Amino acid sequence: MEEKNLTEKASLELISQMITNSRRKLEDGNGIPFLIWGYATFFVSLLVYYFVNATGDYHYNILWFLIPVIGSIGMFISEKSRAKHAGHVRNYIERVIGNIWLVIGIAALLTSVGASFVRFPVLPLMLLLLGIGTTITGLTIKFKPVIISGFIGMASCVVPFVLEGNGQILVFGVVCLIMMVIPGHILNYQGRKRHV
Amino acid sequence: MFKELNPLLHSELRLGIMSILISVEEADFVYIREKTGATAGNISVQIEKLSEAGYIEINKGFLGKRTRTVCKITQKGVNAFEEYVEALKSYLDIKGR
Repeated sequence: MEEKNLTEKASLELISQMITNSRRKLEDGNGIPFLIWGYATFFVSLLVYYFVNATGDYHYNILWFLIPVIGSIGMFISEKSRAKHAGHVRNYIERVIGNIWLVIGIAALLTSVGASFVRFPVLPLMLLLLGIGTTITGLTIKFKPVIISGFIGMASCVVPFVLEGNGQILVFGVVCLIMMVIPGHILNYQGRKRHV
Repeated sequence: MFKELNPLLHSELRLGIMSILISVEEADFVYIREKTGATAGNISVQIEKLSEAGYIEINKGFLGKRTRTVCKITQKGVNAFEEYVEALKSYLDIKGR
């Protein structure tokens, strides 16, 4: 592309082509945050289940706070490597999704801190929050697997209520695996397919 | 009656840059270079012209040790772009279709 004047038709074609090119970028690599947070939640759930079950000491619930630590480090590394390998671009949808998860993240953190002082069923509430975030993300990017998995996550919030004991920690981990990791892999697969 | 086409936008590279920036929130220099295929020197000159006209905002920062130039369209730029497209429509006689 150079600094030259255009015909009117060529102008319209250029505008359309540039807008389409920028739009494609929107879906690429969208699965990575789902994978980072999904795997972090799943493995930390297994860790908490193991220690609480083996020792009977509920102080091991402090390990849940490993999720924001692992997730934040993962996101930082992923963003840095993405910016290194390709030009940086941020579109409106990415900003909206970023804000949704920022609010959900703060709500989840506040709830977890609250649960450290007062005992209440925190896991169903977390599933509901994560399910809401996932469903809104799916609806925003118009991607069915994410919408469906988000609804599954929301619906699953009743399971830990029904289930007694430490088993609900495992259920929480498995639901997060279904709700975040599976759609994350599908999103990445679709992204790779577009580039072939 | 034909509307006049804004000469600042009626150039291939500047229009390309504006079309990218109108469809995203912000984009850096590397992204613009990838999408337009133009040389770094040429892009520098054109984004400077667009910035002087108040159509875009340029923020220079750092990504690790490298400098990063991030461009963002302004409201004035959005208005100019919309007027340009309206003018194009009058030339191509597709207004109101």
